[in-house]
Amino acid sequence: MQSFAIHNLENHHLARPKRAAEDHSLIPPCQAACPLHMDIREYVSLTAQGRVMEALQVIRSGNPFPSICAHVCAHPCENACRRAQVDKPVAIRALKRFAVEFGGDRMVECEAETTHDERVAVVGSGPAGLACAYYLRKLGYLVTVFEAHSQLGGMLRVGIPKYRLPREVLDTEVERLARMGVEIRTNARVVSLDLLFDMGYKAVFLTVGAHQGLRMGIDGEESPGVIDGATFLREVNLGLKPSLGERVAVVGGGNVAIDAARTAIRLGAREVNILYRRSRAEMPADDVEVEQALEEGVQFKFLVLPKKIRRQDGYLKVNCVRMELGEPDARGRRQPVAVEGSDFEMEFDTLVVAIGQAPQMPGGFGVRVGKGSTIVVDPVTLTTNRVGVFAGGDAVTGPATVVQALAAGRQAAGRIDDYLQHRYPKDAAESRETLVGDLRPETIEMIRRIGRIEPPALPPEARTADFTPIEMVYDWEAAVNEARRCLRCGAGAEILFQDKCASCLTCLRVCPYHVPYVDATGAVRIPADQCQACGVCVAECPARAIVLRRPYDRRQVAGELEHVLRSAAQTKPRPLVVGFCCQYGLFGTGSLSDLWREAGGSIWLVPVLCTANVEAHHILRAFEMGAEGVFIASCGEQCARENTEFWVRQRVEKARRVLSEIGLEPERIEVLVPSDHNGSTAAEQLDAFAQRIGTLYLASILMQEVRS
Amino acid sequence: MIVAERKSLEEIRRTIAPYERVLIVGCGTCATVCGAGGEREVALLHAGLRAMEARSGEGWHTFLEFTVKRQCDAEFLDALVDRVREVDAVLSLGCGIGVQAIAERFPTLPVLPGVNTSFMGMAKEWGVWDERCAACGDCRLAETAGICPITRCAKGILNGPCAGTKNGKCEANNEMDCAWVLIYQRLEKLHRLEDMRRYYPPRNFRVIPRPRRIVSKAEVAVGGNNG
Ligand SMILES: Cc1cc2nc3c(=O)[nH]c(=O)nc-3n(C[C@H](O)[C@H](O)[C@H](O)COP(=O)(O)OP(=O)(O)OC[C@H]3O[C@@H](n4cnc5c(N)ncnc54)[C@H](O)[C@@H]3O)c2cc1C
Ligand code: SF4
Ligand code: SF4
Ligand code: SF4
Repeated sequence: MQSFAIHNLENHHLARPKRAAEDHSLIPPCQAACPLHMDIREYVSLTAQGRVMEALQVIRSGNPFPSICAHVCAHPCENACRRAQVDKPVAIRALKRFAVEFGGDRMVECEAETTHDERVAVVGSGPAGLACAYYLRKLGYLVTVFEAHSQLGGMLRVGIPKYRLPREVLDTEVERLARMGVEIRTNARVVSLDLLFDMGYKAVFLTVGAHQGLRMGIDGEESPGVIDGATFLREVNLGLKPSLGERVAVVGGGNVAIDAARTAIRLGAREVNILYRRSRAEMPADDVEVEQALEEGVQFKFLVLPKKIRRQDGYLKVNCVRMELGEPDARGRRQPVAVEGSDFEMEFDTLVVAIGQAPQMPGGFGVRVGKGSTIVVDPVTLTTNRVGVFAGGDAVTGPATVVQALAAGRQAAGRIDDYLQHRYPKDAAESRETLVGDLRPETIEMIRRIGRIEPPALPPEARTADFTPIEMVYDWEAAVNEARRCLRCGAGAEILFQDKCASCLTCLRVCPYHVPYVDATGAVRIPADQCQACGVCVAECPARAIVLRRPYDRRQVAGELEHVLRSAAQTKPRPLVVGFCCQYGLFGTGSLSDLWREAGGSIWLVPVLCTANVEAHHILRAFEMGAEGVFIASCGEQCARENTEFWVRQRVEKARRVLSEIGLEPERIEVLVPSDHNGSTAAEQLDAFAQRIGTLYLASILMQEVRS
Repeated sequence: MIVAERKSLEEIRRTIAPYERVLIVGCGTCATVCGAGGEREVALLHAGLRAMEARSGEGWHTFLEFTVKRQCDAEFLDALVDRVREVDAVLSLGCGIGVQAIAERFPTLPVLPGVNTSFMGMAKEWGVWDERCAACGDCRLAETAGICPITRCAKGILNGPCAGTKNGKCEANNEMDCAWVLIYQRLEKLHRLEDMRRYYPPRNFRVIPRPRRIVSKAEVAVGGNNG
């Protein structure tokens, strides 16, 4: 009789299965900072494993228009990323770009069925309006989008320059919406909401954005040749070619100012200056974009404020004053103050004023507006003072970001649904905690420094002739390596059953990052905010009291192994070789899997997230199920973790000892690395190993025949 | 803590041979801490035995596994009651005390040791264990600066070092520190070097009457002396 019964070697939590199946991971800071609350850690991890389609799925489940965000998102996630405490934040936006391009986001079809009779009007087709339309349609409502301009997209269309957001990307999303059944009315400026209700709409979502350029309020601002940033960009984006002359100045320090300056360069202006009243450090514009503007020849004049404009001899004479930074104000921002008697004059052909925008509301809306002409709403329900009228996006917040607008649109769709279904708005309370707290210096010191990889971009010379998109996509290798930099914040190890802990202190001794500690009561603790999720303690804890916080990670190795063994049993390959293969880096993206195909199916790969998670009993399980040889392919020096190969070799030695005790040659287990001490590649090592196993297998068959 | 080491699979195979269904029982205390018989080692042994059975082509055993909090107390063994009903023998990865405790708790059940109980000691570092105490019943650590010559001197002498000490190492094994040099160095730090010059009479080497028992509870006769 063969041995049977408990086959599941991971049965140690069977007694308390419910807790063992729960997701105990904490919400990482990147996710907490994202207005859409995207599961960044997850899709970055999938990208690191080369599972780009799944990464895209995760992205799409949290973002209606990921391709747009992949190009222009202001990425608050990166500003919160804890990797910055080690070196630089993970390039999350660029990784999303990789996932949407390589995962085939363009091809994704969205479907929607009409399940409600109520019709909803969305006024304005910026990201907020489009997102709301998307989600309402998904919820089964009939939606009409009213847009004053001839094309959809709001600032995506008339604000953001084409070199940052190719219009095909936007068009794809718009077409997708149309195919979902969203009704689109362009050239349709809404002037009265009563009219919409009269037309039968049961609810209205106002997302008219903030398009009215703010003025400096100085003499001469009305002169010809002075234009506000939003208008200037709108004209260019709608295909007009404003004549700028040779010398252009842009006033302001935000992203709109940078976009205007870079647009002016592309329109052929010979000299473009940005006049900003504070210094570089205070500039709200994105660093990368400032950098790129400099590369393109934009000049920055800091601590300068225009005081008066005069038009003379066809030029703008701009009287400026120098500023210096005074004491920090209540918000900690140092206020610029004019330096007495520092007036000077500059001469330009065109002056673009990009110091901010405000919403512009037709009087017929009858909604209450507050500070900066923004619509006043309830922050939870997004309702205005008018029944059935909701509002969101820049029109409510003042100029903000695409992702904030998308989040507002999504929120509005949910609230409008509640309203139309007469439901009390339910709070989608998150049960998991958010990870707070910085990495300790001791932890940081142990984390391997891996430089951030920026996506490739066109060289400055090649950029400025026209509006060609300048940023390109990562290739596989760069994307995988960048994604591996993620520290997987909050998804690390925990002592799941404190009562099982024998206080042996193994975890303290094996952790490469010195994370576990003994608290004042003598209990062993693994602080979630420090753990790097390497899994070493999980695999070494002799009591098996430690697990990874995410259920998938807990089952990963055993699950994949059983899957592979089942498939192998069906095809009965002889001799069967099982390889535990690092899913990151080299092996995840190619060479070994090609080799495996060539080897004719007798090599079966078990993908593992990190080979430090492979335990000796996993190896033995493969031998139990008929494997003639087992190898572990580790990513070696490429590893983002510390000491992985040491731990792999520990497990291998342990399994080898057992193997020789049961009369099998210990050489049947091998560790492969990308390049071994002889300089042979993983493929060559695998070749040699497969040959060795073939020989041992033949010998054992011969022995059996001799015996019988 | 008690330190043990797993027996060879060959020996285990021989001892379990007569029994079809075997429950491998781990111990969640010392055997876990010393890495010989906690839940992880139970799983590894289980996997090893199953691989052995499968590869031999003639396996007929069934294995189950379970780890109790501590084998040397009968109350913790209650968790085994239902489980042992389904098996023919228990293979204990607890120390010798655990094996006996299980045997005592289940009078008709064969209980087999899966580890060799080796010594009392502590972890030097991860994965390295050192003996520290011989349970001699007559502790002299006060005189030897907290370093036990009985266990840590190869010869267990009380008036060391012997002539075999060399560069702080022991003649029996030149990798090993001479316990008496360690004692000297520590006494020096404690400013108690004069303790070195004392002569310690031989200990009582009479055979210890076994088994030893310690009674710590007071003999209180219920109702007696109370009135
Ligand atoms: C030059 C520029 C660059 C930017 N770059 C970035 C960037 O890189 N990353 C980022 O995250 N954010 C960026 N932003 C900000 C971002 O574009 C906005 O925050 C976002 O578009 C706001 O979305 P919204 O839907 O609220 O409004 P909008 O996008 O402004 O859309 C509002 C729409 O409503 C329409 N509308 C107005 N009134 C009416 C009416 N009465 N009837 C019908 N339609 C009407 C308008 O025509 C417009 O199409 C940039 C903004 C500008 C101006
Ligand atoms: S390291 Fe990873 S999980 Fe942590 S904040 Fe950055 S992207 Fe998020
Ligand atoms: S390794 Fe396991 S048993 Fe040991 S102290 Fe850590 S959690 Fe407790
Ligand atoms: S998972 Fe790794 S980093 Fe986290 S506590 Fe365990 S050994 Fe340390």
